Amino acid sequence: MDDAAGTRGTAAAGGAGPVGPVGPVGPVDPAVTDVAAAAAARARPPEETYRSAGEWIRKNLFSSRLNSLLTIAFGLLILFAARGLLNFVFSEERGWDAVRTNLRLIFTHAYPEEQYVRIWVCVGTLVVLTGLSLGLFAGRGEGVQLQKISTVMAGVGAAIALGVILREPSVLIGADGAVVRENDDVVRQSFFEAMADRWAWWLAAAVLIAAGVVLRRAVASSKVSISSVPAVEFAVALLALPVLSAWIYPWGHFAFVDGTFIAEPGRTVAMSTKVPWTVMWLLVVAAMALGRLMRRGFDEQQQQRMRIPLNLLWLASPFALYWVILRDPHLEWDRVLSVDIPMGVLFGVIGAGVLWMLTRPGVGELGRIIAIVLLGVAAFNWLAAFFGWYSMLQKARLSFLLLALVALAAHNFAGESIKRRRLVVAWLVLMAIVHYFATLMNAPSTVETPTEALIGGFAVTVIVAVFTIMLSFPLGVLLALARTSRLPIFRVMATSYIEVIRGVPLITILIFFAIILNLFLPVGMEISLIASATLGYTLFSAAYLAENVRGGLQSVRRGQFEASDAVGLSTTQRTVFVVLPQALRVSIPPLVGQMIATFKETSLLAIIGVFDVLRMANSVIPAQTQFLGIKREGLLFVSVVYWIFAYTLSKQSQRLERRLGVGER
Amino acid sequence: MSISDATVAVSEELAARDDMIVCRDVDKWFGDFQALSGITATIKEQEIVVVLGPSGSGKSTWIRCINRLEAHQNGQIIVDGIELTNDLRNIEKIRSEVGMVFQQFNLFPHLTVVDNITLAPIWVRKKSRPEAEELAAALLERVGIPEQAEKFPGQLSGGQQQRVAIARALAMEPRVMLFDEPTSALDPEMIKEVLDVMEELARSGMTMMVVTHEMGFAREVADRVIFMEGGEIVEVGTPHHFFTDPTEERTKLFLSQVL
Amino acid sequence: MSDPLQVDRGSSLSAAGARPPFYRDATVVKWLSQVLTLALVLFALIFLASQGRSNLEAKDIETGYDFLGTALGSDLGSGIDTNPNTSGRALWVGMVNTIRLSIGGIIAATVLGVLVGVGRLSRNWIVSRASSVFVETLRNIPLLVQIILIFVVIASLPRVTIDQGPIPGWLHISNKGVSIPRVYVADGFYQWLIFLAIGAAIGWIVMRQRSRVHDETGRSTYPVLSFGAVVGVFGVAGWFLHPIFGWVGAIFDFGASAIDALTPGIVQAIISVAAVAAAILWIRRFLASHRTPAGLTKLVDDDWFRIIFAAAGAVLVILFVTLGWPGLSSWIINSGRDLFEVLGDKFGNGRTGLPIDAMRPDIEQVGNFPNYGPSGLNLIQGLAAVYFGVVLYTAAFIAEVVRGGILAVPKGQSEAAQAVGLRRSTMLRRVVLPQAFRVILPPLGNQYLNLTKNTSLAIAIGYSDVVQVGQTVYNQTGKTLEVVSIWMLFYLACSLTISVVVNFFNVRMRIVER
Repeated sequence: MDDAAGTRGTAAAGGAGPVGPVGPVGPVDPAVTDVAAAAAARARPPEETYRSAGEWIRKNLFSSRLNSLLTIAFGLLILFAARGLLNFVFSEERGWDAVRTNLRLIFTHAYPEEQYVRIWVCVGTLVVLTGLSLGLFAGRGEGVQLQKISTVMAGVGAAIALGVILREPSVLIGADGAVVRENDDVVRQSFFEAMADRWAWWLAAAVLIAAGVVLRRAVASSKVSISSVPAVEFAVALLALPVLSAWIYPWGHFAFVDGTFIAEPGRTVAMSTKVPWTVMWLLVVAAMALGRLMRRGFDEQQQQRMRIPLNLLWLASPFALYWVILRDPHLEWDRVLSVDIPMGVLFGVIGAGVLWMLTRPGVGELGRIIAIVLLGVAAFNWLAAFFGWYSMLQKARLSFLLLALVALAAHNFAGESIKRRRLVVAWLVLMAIVHYFATLMNAPSTVETPTEALIGGFAVTVIVAVFTIMLSFPLGVLLALARTSRLPIFRVMATSYIEVIRGVPLITILIFFAIILNLFLPVGMEISLIASATLGYTLFSAAYLAENVRGGLQSVRRGQFEASDAVGLSTTQRTVFVVLPQALRVSIPPLVGQMIATFKETSLLAIIGVFDVLRMANSVIPAQTQFLGIKREGLLFVSVVYWIFAYTLSKQSQRLERRLGVGER
Repeated sequence: MSISDATVAVSEELAARDDMIVCRDVDKWFGDFQALSGITATIKEQEIVVVLGPSGSGKSTWIRCINRLEAHQNGQIIVDGIELTNDLRNIEKIRSEVGMVFQQFNLFPHLTVVDNITLAPIWVRKKSRPEAEELAAALLERVGIPEQAEKFPGQLSGGQQQRVAIARALAMEPRVMLFDEPTSALDPEMIKEVLDVMEELARSGMTMMVVTHEMGFAREVADRVIFMEGGEIVEVGTPHHFFTDPTEERTKLFLSQVL
Repeated sequence: MSDPLQVDRGSSLSAAGARPPFYRDATVVKWLSQVLTLALVLFALIFLASQGRSNLEAKDIETGYDFLGTALGSDLGSGIDTNPNTSGRALWVGMVNTIRLSIGGIIAATVLGVLVGVGRLSRNWIVSRASSVFVETLRNIPLLVQIILIFVVIASLPRVTIDQGPIPGWLHISNKGVSIPRVYVADGFYQWLIFLAIGAAIGWIVMRQRSRVHDETGRSTYPVLSFGAVVGVFGVAGWFLHPIFGWVGAIFDFGASAIDALTPGIVQAIISVAAVAAAILWIRRFLASHRTPAGLTKLVDDDWFRIIFAAAGAVLVILFVTLGWPGLSSWIINSGRDLFEVLGDKFGNGRTGLPIDAMRPDIEQVGNFPNYGPSGLNLIQGLAAVYFGVVLYTAAFIAEVVRGGILAVPKGQSEAAQAVGLRRSTMLRRVVLPQAFRVILPPLGNQYLNLTKNTSLAIAIGYSDVVQVGQTVYNQTGKTLEVVSIWMLFYLACSLTISVVVNFFNVRMRIVER
């Protein structure tokens, strides 16, 4: 243990230990995590009860002379900041139309209108999966206190009222950002006139406050028999409000499609927006109900078993959805029948035969030697591809490699015929999937877009983030294992890789991959910008991820290794069954932190020329003739979008951390 | 002398059996610290050997060398006729023939008790799951906690955990059991339940090598006692000889401190 | 007594030690798998490198670092002078800009972060809420978005005027950025530094003596205060007397000529000898730690690997210096000489001005438009955006680090301190803060590293940091690979420096603890 602590300490200072911001964002040292968890547990003192609002204010705001001073100073500061922000947002000069009409551009860039249903299919799939997961697993015994809801309602109402008063009577902001009061066209309204003009806001504030107070009374007088509502259901039900408002309230009909600019304030939202979103909401509700039903019907063990297929669906969905978005493959059936299908079958059958042989009882080392020879052949295939010694279809090479890897693990399944059969079936399924996707990938796509990039905006941000996270995870785990391995050369290689990557800024790596990578590839091989950027992100993120996992690995006690050795597990079995499950559980909070960091880092795509959401706001929209130079609104909107995602994730990770901290070990 | 005759009598009966563990001139260094020097001893089939000695005397190191948790650097270790060398196949074989129980139990905290026991039989012995679970149930019965099968180790008391650890080692159907201070981490009231299981195991004819500070166990169950100090074997003898009439000064000193 | 159970030595069994076939030999498998993987990785790298080389040749692009000496066709927006106007100098300016930005950022982010972190723990509801909002807002929005937003907001500020506010002559804020008074190192600074160094040395001795007196007699002797007083006295004296150290420059001049007299061969020899000596020393130490009274212990395979690794390292260094990059030694000679010449100049005679001076910002009329003059410290648009961006963003993270560190000190510690009757201030200074600091320091160092790396986002808004300059350079010369390698080396050097500094304090804290 001393040793482990020592390495961690030097690593921390020696370039880049697994330390990071305390809290959910960024890589976190396990020790610090413990500390943070403990701190979080302690940071919430038992709720003090106050007899009246006056007492609360006295205790929390004016308990001493210094405190009073601070309260007044910060109160003024916050009021001024709020006023500035409100004036900015509600100024009549603001070009919010630039954002409103370009929402489609911001989220998907130039994805073709007639193919848009693909996007909705993707969103729908994710929504159904989310609903199922929520229904099956979430919200066990968690509830939102009605009292808290009432407080929040009244608080929001009060905040709205305050905001309405704070805003300047009539706000007109010049191009230079200063508030202009005298303008030829706009006569400055009187304060009361302005207040009266904002009747809708007043109404909203009044309704909210009234509802909050009524609810509170009701709870206090125990007229309402329940004191809390289930948290997840409540959140989903809340989502109905914006969806419903799209049907009722005239938010306006805004669109900027294929160069045509449509802005019709006063209408309700366009059908092409509100119908799909309503469907999405219904889907989530239905999926959640289904999940709840399943949960009621199943016992604990069956529920645990449900977790596996659902998680597999989650894992597979990004890849599947990617194809849905990108491709409408046009298959040449001649070729499919003469080449693709026979090849798939061939690999399936021969591979199955080989695996069946290798798992016969008593094969022993011979099996491993055969597997290693297979691995050598597979590696040689790739080598030959680089040098062009002989040609071979890429998917054949891939299948070969997969066969070798599965064969390498085959000895674990040796013995009983049921295990052997399972392995063979798994192989056949794997081959079917791989060949199916490889065939589709080779076929030309018929989805065509007006711009070079197929999809952009927020969608590309999400795609790159998700693929980076999924691809960097195995790489990071491997690096962490190598870095903590007892084999010195692996250790040296992994350590130098991790430290070098962590020592340089992400942008230099991205530039390397975006600009230079193609120089290093063999002639005729090219890699698209998004793919190479994802590769760069993956290699970068893997180094950080490795440090997080290393923290977890170091927390696995030596005795666990010894006990696994003593019962005769092989190194691989020990790692898979004993070490990693324990290490990864410890690393979950920092891993989520790393996920959030990756998500935020995708904004750097804009620098290397990918049309991501930031580039939309910073370059694309300001270049439209209708909205020349309008940047601030778009950037603010992008900030809010990023913030919502990152904040939600980080809150969830904090909850997870607390649960892991106090729950099962 | 009667005592010495008794020693020889037991010894001759033992000597007729097959060798289970043979150590010959085993040396082991940690850096410049020599943990074992010239360990030479033989343990016969079905023999119960208790290793005693002050802490830091190398008893744990020796026992850990026998199933290759530590690699010895000189000499030979032969278990059931297989020499422990760099040969991976031999290491594999010996590990599945030698069961080990640790001071800190070292159960896998993320697996249930039954999964702890069945993990190695399924993946190393290639048993089917039902078969392994049947075996686990039988073993839990044997160590006296059949009702705890679905619990996690963290939910058990120390004594129960150690009994699960014994069951886990037995699930591999070992020919030798090594115990590395199995009761040192236990509260006093739990020691007995573990010792009872060990005694039962001894009666059933298992070859056992036990590092412990439980003098009572050594006196009653052991066929032989080995006393170590400073990485060397100081004295070997029957418990009776060892506790009543030790030959070496160092043994006497040790006994005077612990008894 | 002859125990029948003791095996007689040298029986037939001892012949059982035959070596197993190689694929079952633990040692062989262990090393073979490692060496094969290493070979595979090396092969892949070499393959990619050769591919890159042939591709570059096909495109008629030459590799090499000669471009550093050739002229660069464009001006840099800001930073120290670009004289001579070469790519190398431009990159150097970029590095200086990055370093300045990082140091300034680290200072400001630390101050702000500590305030916010403590603020989050405040009992005042409004302060703790405001701090929470600050942290949760800033750290959940990507830094790049923040930087660009700040940049755009600055650009939309009012145009600069001749009587620019908000405080004319002191603080100017406009669409050109922010301008504040400049405090700068002036003529006699380096000689003054000598005074300070002497003062610190004497102060150190005084402090030690004072604390010894304190330990012996228990009187309050204010050791830290007396250290400060001594340094202060020397500082004030040096402010006026510093020209008397003008002769120091001659020492550096001598050093410059001494280095200049070296030939590349000698430098290569020195480096090689040093490498070999280091390797030999290390191996000897290693062997010594494996020696017992009974002789050398048996070395296991890992020990042999370490020895071979050390020897191979020395050989690699020699090969690199002599064959890999022969130009290195002349580069060392040239830059060493230049460094000493510069130092000789800085410490030289005739520097009678003030050590530190300050200037107020001004506005000058260039053509039709007023603009910031050179005398103030001008945070131009891009610089201001990056600076405020990284400071605010990092401060949010530092706040969390600080909060976590303070909360990490167990409550029992302060209770124990109060139980033994320490005053609140003493308790904070002697008990709580040292422990909190120990928790805070490593993640704080990590934040400093992040800040330094994050300044590279300046490329998005065109401020001339090392990455942006590098982009300009490779756009003009096509030397992408070389530029990327310079970036990496530079940032690795920065990371290493920060790590060393943080590690130094970390180790000190640990000693203080014991």
